[in-house]
Amino acid sequence: MTDFPVVPSLHSETNLILDKKLSVRVERLKHQIEHAAHYLPAQGPITVFVHHNTLHAFEEMSFDGGVQTGGELFGCHPYLPEEKYRQYLEEDRIRTVDLEAVLLDDLGEEADRLVASFGTRYALRLAMLQSPLHSGSSAELKWVIAETDALRKFRDDVFPDVRDRLIAETRHWVMRDFRNGNLKQNQNQNQGTQYLIERVFKQFNKKNIESWSNKIWEEFVLRFLFQVCHHGFLLAEEEKEEQAENQNVLNHVQRHRDLLFQATGEDSDLLVHDLLIRFCSAFLDQGFGDWELPNREAGFYQSFIQLYDKPYAAPSSWLRKLSREVHRLNQSEMGALESIDESLRLLRVSEEEQESFITQTLLALQGWAGMVWQMETNAEWAIHPAPAESLIEFLAIRLILDRLAISYVARNVLWFDCSLQTLRPTLLANIHEEDSQSADRQIFTLFQLAQIRGWKPEDLQQLTQEQWRTLLQEIGDFSELERRRIYHLAYEHKYRNATLDAVIAHSKSNVSKRNQASNTKTNSRPAYQLVCCIDDREESFRRHLEEVAPECETFGIAGFYGVAMYYRGALDAYFKPLCPVSIKPQHYIVEAPLYSQVQAEQRRSEARRRIGRMTHQTHRGTRTFLGGLITGLFGSLAAFPLVARVLFPRATSHIRDYFGSIVSPPSTELHTERTEKEPGVDVGHIGYTIEEMADIVEAGMRALGLGEPALISDLIIICGHGSSSVNNPHESAYNCGACSGGRGGPNARVFSQMANDLRIRQMLLERNLVIPKETIFVGGYHNTCDDSMTWYDLDNVPVSHRPLFERAKSQIDAAKARSAHERCRRFESAELSISFEEALEHVEERSEDLSQARPEYNHATNGLCFVGHRDWSRGLFLDRRAFLTSYTPSQDDAQGTILEQMLRAVIPVCAGINLEYYFSTVDVEGYGCGSKLPHNITSLLGVMSGAASDLRPGLSLQMIEIHEPMRILFVIETTPQVMQRIIENNPSIKKIVEGNWVQLALFDAESLQIHRYVRGEFILYQPEVTEIPAVNSSLDWYRGWRDHLGFASIHETEKTITSSETISS
Amino acid sequence: MTPETFFTFFGICVVASPAILLALFGLTALLGISLSERSLAWLTLASVLFGLLSSLAILGMMIATGTRHVPVEIGNWVVIPEQHFHFHLKFIFDRLSVPFAILTFVLCGTIGAFTTKYLHREPGYRRFFLFYAIFLLGMIVSTLAGTIETLFFGWEFVGLSSALLVAYFHERPNPVRNGLRVWSVYRIADASFLIAALALHHLTGAGDFDGLMGAGAWPKGHTTISESHALFVGLFLLVAVAGKSALIPFSGWLPRAMEGPTPSSAVFYGSLSVHLGAFLLLRVSPILEVSPLLSAAVILLGLSSALLGTLMARVQTDIKSALAFASLTQVGIIVAEIGFGLRYIALIHIVGHACLRTLQLLRSPSLLHDYHSMENAIGSHLSHAPTFWERIVPSSFRAWLYRFSVERGYLDTILDEYILRPFVFFFKWSDRMERRWTNFLSGKEPPDKNLSSMTKTSTSLEELL
Repeated sequence: MTDFPVVPSLHSETNLILDKKLSVRVERLKHQIEHAAHYLPAQGPITVFVHHNTLHAFEEMSFDGGVQTGGELFGCHPYLPEEKYRQYLEEDRIRTVDLEAVLLDDLGEEADRLVASFGTRYALRLAMLQSPLHSGSSAELKWVIAETDALRKFRDDVFPDVRDRLIAETRHWVMRDFRNGNLKQNQNQNQGTQYLIERVFKQFNKKNIESWSNKIWEEFVLRFLFQVCHHGFLLAEEEKEEQAENQNVLNHVQRHRDLLFQATGEDSDLLVHDLLIRFCSAFLDQGFGDWELPNREAGFYQSFIQLYDKPYAAPSSWLRKLSREVHRLNQSEMGALESIDESLRLLRVSEEEQESFITQTLLALQGWAGMVWQMETNAEWAIHPAPAESLIEFLAIRLILDRLAISYVARNVLWFDCSLQTLRPTLLANIHEEDSQSADRQIFTLFQLAQIRGWKPEDLQQLTQEQWRTLLQEIGDFSELERRRIYHLAYEHKYRNATLDAVIAHSKSNVSKRNQASNTKTNSRPAYQLVCCIDDREESFRRHLEEVAPECETFGIAGFYGVAMYYRGALDAYFKPLCPVSIKPQHYIVEAPLYSQVQAEQRRSEARRRIGRMTHQTHRGTRTFLGGLITGLFGSLAAFPLVARVLFPRATSHIRDYFGSIVSPPSTELHTERTEKEPGVDVGHIGYTIEEMADIVEAGMRALGLGEPALISDLIIICGHGSSSVNNPHESAYNCGACSGGRGGPNARVFSQMANDLRIRQMLLERNLVIPKETIFVGGYHNTCDDSMTWYDLDNVPVSHRPLFERAKSQIDAAKARSAHERCRRFESAELSISFEEALEHVEERSEDLSQARPEYNHATNGLCFVGHRDWSRGLFLDRRAFLTSYTPSQDDAQGTILEQMLRAVIPVCAGINLEYYFSTVDVEGYGCGSKLPHNITSLLGVMSGAASDLRPGLSLQMIEIHEPMRILFVIETTPQVMQRIIENNPSIKKIVEGNWVQLALFDAESLQIHRYVRGEFILYQPEVTEIPAVNSSLDWYRGWRDHLGFASIHETEKTITSSETISS
Repeated sequence: MTPETFFTFFGICVVASPAILLALFGLTALLGISLSERSLAWLTLASVLFGLLSSLAILGMMIATGTRHVPVEIGNWVVIPEQHFHFHLKFIFDRLSVPFAILTFVLCGTIGAFTTKYLHREPGYRRFFLFYAIFLLGMIVSTLAGTIETLFFGWEFVGLSSALLVAYFHERPNPVRNGLRVWSVYRIADASFLIAALALHHLTGAGDFDGLMGAGAWPKGHTTISESHALFVGLFLLVAVAGKSALIPFSGWLPRAMEGPTPSSAVFYGSLSVHLGAFLLLRVSPILEVSPLLSAAVILLGLSSALLGTLMARVQTDIKSALAFASLTQVGIIVAEIGFGLRYIALIHIVGHACLRTLQLLRSPSLLHDYHSMENAIGSHLSHAPTFWERIVPSSFRAWLYRFSVERGYLDTILDEYILRPFVFFFKWSDRMERRWTNFLSGKEPPDKNLSSMTKTSTSLEELL
């Protein structure tokens, strides 16, 4: 019997009907593969890392449905592990009140339902949540029973009075009814009890029962209790219909490999992946390998076939078979889809299971399959995008390899020749699930619960079969998964309530302060204004600036500042998009050296080019024969940079910067104004028209709530952000999310330049937007890793404004040092006693250190997003956990048009970041990319773990280690009516909000009331507490703490500054 | 202080500092005392610095006194007179071992400093430094070894720590699998080494290199054994060298060893461990002189490994494998150099290559960043102009060569197919025969043959009561 019969009938001319059927099948296949592709990771090349919901494919479902279905499909955790929540329970990160509240809410009407005369469902579930019920494999439980005190002593968490009562009452009962074995015969039910109790008596010395000590009684009660539970379980199981049978059956089809693996422990995927990973990385390579894959342009399928249909194949039987099979396919000129169809039939995959089977097959190497799909559909900008239908061809090859590997393994390990057609049934028949596992677990759970809840054996043994069933059903219904779901809700509940309480309490104190202030001062025009990205990392920067400079005002809007562009810096080779991924930019902006310095720049760029070429030559040369020989002989010189960079990273980087500055471009300018009609990359087509610029500035000013001249100060600083780190493949994930993982400095610079343009201001006047003459805009760039600040076009700051700018600059410098200081509390390698200056040096060193796996913590710990006026959140310590979006309801219309515009970007972007962190945290190996330490960059596209593995999308262990996985809580300053309308009108928002992928609360800054979104309605929130701690400065609140911190009000007083300065010196 | 006591004192210091480090890490781990990250880092640094300074002191004194050969005896540790066996601990400081020891200290020190930060908060932090201490001691001992037993002792330590470090992330199956593979190859190399050592004992009556190489200081020694004996011992040593330095046919393990944290890949496979085979050849180089046939074998092995390495490096698409094969190329060339008798060149080549490769491996996660800056500097995508070879080789042969390289020269496949498989097959066959025999003796029915392991019998909880 051969494993892969040639299928001649497929192409015979006479068999037209079959051919027609084939075309139908092929169409369906195409459709199914496309559908399956949606479950693949959606992360593209790592160089443009964009945060998005890892379970994007399940967004149509609710959050809980999505994480559970997705978790099952991908074999990943939907929530944190139960032990983790238990630990939080012990640490009081989850309180009992939280559990009670969410459980009551979750059960609703069902809470008071009585369970077999043992209290309510609510009480039972609460007990199961509060006390860690031990569970494990049968072997483990047996060990617990045989070797520990489980049957001798009550659990530690049983209340003493419950225990004593249980012992006393059972003792009375036993002494009264069973001591002599002369029980009244008519009590039918007690016969069983008699039998059970006699069994227990056997292990005790019944003769002197009167003089048993308390200890013996305790053991007796427990042993008896166990017997009763065991008996009850058996009773309930008796004559039970076979309904539970399907419970454990997976919703998806099992691949041949899975069954083979279960049966033999041999993994046929090892063979397949070893080869396929190498081939995929060669096929997708973006220019790392010195030799390109031959025939790559012919597509995945053809290049594979051509490569392996070469003579002199490998000297192993499995590769020889592959060669033969590939040769057959090559000869028969079979296409990829037909080959899939053939493989499926050879594997005997029925039509019903076909789609699920295809999904499972693609998911077996999901990282690479996902990357093939991304490069095929979403990467036209890349150097080597994959041709259309690459994923289909990938699947075709994969199935061919699967077939061969399975029959190879089956033959080698099972010692019998088994045709692929009958393999699955044969294996299925031989795999027996052990059902005693679940029985033991249920009995032990019952036993533990009986102790905790104080169920007397006397009462238990009176239960009818029906009641036992109800009880067991009830316990079974509250499975581990359900418990984790509730724990998770409680986990979110605590933080949510603390946040909402803090918002109310803090804005109350802010209101009273403002009232006082308005009595004394009338003119409250701020000295200057700072506009940042909404990013959570800018929260501390803004807060500290407000503390340092109470006379300034800060704002947050999406960090591309409405300038959606392709940008090419003076040092860049290409244009890259700087705007959210959802927008496709139309305009191009170029940074160029100042006109007067063009010649100087030409010399420098020539020098740069030479250095670049030389570096590239060396880079490649060290890996070749002769080049390697030469560089090897002089390689001892490498010892100097090696030692210097590892031991003195900061000093080395200063030296490198110094030499780098010799060839870096001189002062530059932006080309922003377009003269031709159509935007494009050519001269004249670059930039925006005046009209378009005015649109951008207007939209920005209105979003900031600066529609009136009285609100605008003399100096507005627009500040983009990004991050720089070394030895970090995920570097782009640390950049601005609103700039597609790029650095947002240029956007700030472009915006400032536009807003400074008098022609544009003139045009805005006509649109009823007045920017005062004396106002100037300055662009800046904040590096969130080393907390440095770069300023743009300072030459254009008029002399009149320079003192003000100088003041702002020094205050901003102070604020960023403090922000760095606050960040350092999170880094264990920074001492808690560090000063501001040392903190700044510490973060600078982190960004330059090759050995630093955590240059910064990025968005870790994010959990909040405030949309509203800064008035009510100013001075509230948010611990760098909140995205802050500025919005002034009074400047908006009654419909909330500006808000709607804003939320369209803010909700999906923040939810994407938050959910990516959520999933990477709850399962860092499954959804995340595991530990960063063994990462290996491949094909210039992504990372593998170690020498060869699946591509690893997601976030690394080092990025998420301090994150608290919670759905983001939006606190939006608006009314339920407006929000209701926005939800209805925007499908992208509606999906996320109604599916509970985010939490939503609305804040009314006048009445200080909060409405929470609960199942489609806005419900008034009742605060738990009305006061939050008040401190003089952020420093006073965070000093000495490493862990997450609660909320606090910070009073802005002159004293703040002096008190902190004494510490810094 | 006379030069002799000076040498003895500092010589012992060089060996003692890593030994004390290992003892400290090992004993604290054994006694359940958990050292903090900081104290582990501090101890490592102190030990390496002390060892480095001691070896520099010896170097200085050697230059000052013009001595070229300093033996440091620590005496016989095991003596079995009836068997004429003694385990003799002796270290030699000469032109070969001193530079190599200094290189070891510099690279290990740098890696140590790197790792203290890189592995911060990692659960296996202590474990890593324990392996690191084993490795350091192994390297120093085998570098300075004056007898073949001492060299073997260090060689084993290096092998053990390397295999454990490949399997450092033992919660995933791949590192463990690859660690096991590295370990198996090392065992073959070790077995061959041991046979060579025994043969040497037999031939010269002692494992002392002095007996083997004559009294001259390295590289001037002249061996006393005959040509055929040299060839015999040399070929066994060559297998050991091939295993340790990943030469043909063992090259397959080198990229697989890239499973550990980046710094361990850097120091162990990129720089130090992989050169240990070449070092052994340098140490016994006098026997190459007496046997032209052996020299030819060394040259052939070196050049073919280098050629294969450079081919395979061409097609790799991930940075660590590419660097691994690039290392193989250079190690192959170094081995060939030794075969040609260019000993100083080989030593310089080793030192240079080790430093360069360590830097490259440590920087390997910067690859994307580097490509980006190079592209920006050049102002266009990095193009690969077709090289001379690509133009003259016909495309169908190129495709064949590509597959040959992508499949890594089929080296692993051949080992699996022709060495591993017959072994496994034989043992499985023996297992079945044994079971059949016991069944026959006990008169029992054979259990269902294939899938019997799947069904487990289990006792109910009740039986325990």
